[in-house]
Amino acid sequence: MSSRVLPDFELLMPKDLGEGLQLLSRHGSDVAIMAGGTDVLVMMKANYRSPYVMSLAGIGGLDHLDWAPETGLRVGALTTVDQIEQSGAVKQHYRALWQAATLFATPQIRNSATVIGNLLRASPAGDCSCAVLALGGTVVLESVDGRREVAIDDFWLDYNLTARRPDEIAVELRLPPPGKGTGSAFRRLTRTHEDLAKLNASARLDVDGKICRTARLAMGCVGPTTQRLPKCEAILVGKAIDEALLKTLDDVIQSEIAPIDDKRSTAEYRRAVAGVLLRRTISQALAD
Amino acid sequence: MKKCEITLTVNGEQLTTMVAANQTLLEVLRENLGMTETKYGCGTGECGACTVLLDGTKPILSCLTLAAAMDGRHITTAAGLARDGQLHPVQQAFVDESGIQCGFCTPGMVMKTVGILARTPNPSDEEIRHGLEGNICRCTGYAKIVSSVKRAAELMADQSAAE
Ligand SMILES: Cc1cc2nc3c(=O)[nH]c(=O)nc-3n(C[C@H](O)[C@H](O)[C@H](O)COP(=O)(O)OP(=O)(O)OC[C@H]3O[C@@H](n4cnc5c(N)ncnc54)[C@H](O)[C@@H]3O)c2cc1C
Repeated sequence: MSSRVLPDFELLMPKDLGEGLQLLSRHGSDVAIMAGGTDVLVMMKANYRSPYVMSLAGIGGLDHLDWAPETGLRVGALTTVDQIEQSGAVKQHYRALWQAATLFATPQIRNSATVIGNLLRASPAGDCSCAVLALGGTVVLESVDGRREVAIDDFWLDYNLTARRPDEIAVELRLPPPGKGTGSAFRRLTRTHEDLAKLNASARLDVDGKICRTARLAMGCVGPTTQRLPKCEAILVGKAIDEALLKTLDDVIQSEIAPIDDKRSTAEYRRAVAGVLLRRTISQALAD
Repeated sequence: MKKCEITLTVNGEQLTTMVAANQTLLEVLRENLGMTETKYGCGTGECGACTVLLDGTKPILSCLTLAAAMDGRHITTAAGLARDGQLHPVQQAFVDESGIQCGFCTPGMVMKTVGILARTPNPSDEEIRHGLEGNICRCTGYAKIVSSVKRAAELMADQSAAE
């Protein structure tokens, strides 16, 4: 049950990144960082408590969305899901992320929710998270001691747990530029459009002629974190992808996922549809 | 708890008020400022009853927005749409098409419609339904709300042609 009233906390409103990092170096693990607040405030209305909440809203220069063919895409800590949906460059070059943004929540939530907040929430149902895992990329973390980059493959350690240290702010997400034959896609299954995914999937394929050179497949809601599907990826690499090959994934994926029963679906249902969702996502990426 | 003073421009009027760190924009509008047109539905971002516009056109959820983080920003509520005693075309359209039954979702629906039409002045049925996601109505079954949005688009086109 959620409460009407938020619990008490002290609100930190740094005016620039340096001040924010100083505050974190002092108060570290007592701080809940807030970007759009669509997760943090809902959790606080339930049972989550934190002595300090630090809003990033007053820090300028964090809402950028820059694309360049040589360097790829840079997504700032305050860049919203709506900005992703409205971006022609994302639609063209990072189709999976764009599709995740268009299917994500509702217009009001998209106007507030950030992509980086979605990654930092470390929920296995995160839609942008699933697309970002398939696309590959790095999260830039900054503290008073400097910056470091963590590959998205190493970013989620467990349910609601990331590689971020308590004194760090995630300042940017970087996605590599796509190659000539790169295509990507994102799909999800939900009960109603507004609900979180029962299951989501994303694929990025680099295809040369008809041959798949590399494959990154990601699935959510089948384990404690959004995860890659390495065995399924291995089946695609070096081959021309056709219906017969795709059909073989239905069995292989069963050994890569460990879904649970929850209010959105049963584990049995998730197992039954995982292969279907994956095949459709791959076909969609091939058509991109 | 520590309070801080913030200034909001609500419906064009600059208002200064003391807020606690944990007050949402919705609470400040309703309780501090007495502007009860914006409704509390679910409190967790699902229903859209608390929708207000940020900077004139961007629908956001006032129940999931901290008031203190909105210092200096421009907010529009349903009561800020009418001009000189004349209903806004979106409000008029909801009246004309009977897009209102119990009325509780209406302020949110109206604000959302302004947001939809700001981005898509001439939306298809599909675009209207996609745009209305996040605003729940338990009475109408949505058909009349969709026709209200369509009617609003016509009225606004007429209005800008006349100007
Ligand atoms: C009604 C509703 C529907 C939703 N639907 C969807 C959906 O369809 N798909 C989906 O994936 N999610 C959905 N969500 C969840 C949520 O909107 C997303 O996870 C969103 O991307 C979170 O972004 P935010 O900016 O609001 O994050 P916040 O709530 O501000 O933060 C989320 C987490 O990230 C941390 N954090 C944020 N920014 C930083 C930073 N720069 N550095 C370090 N830590 C940081 C916070 O401390 C917190 O732990 C929904 C939520 C609601 C309320």
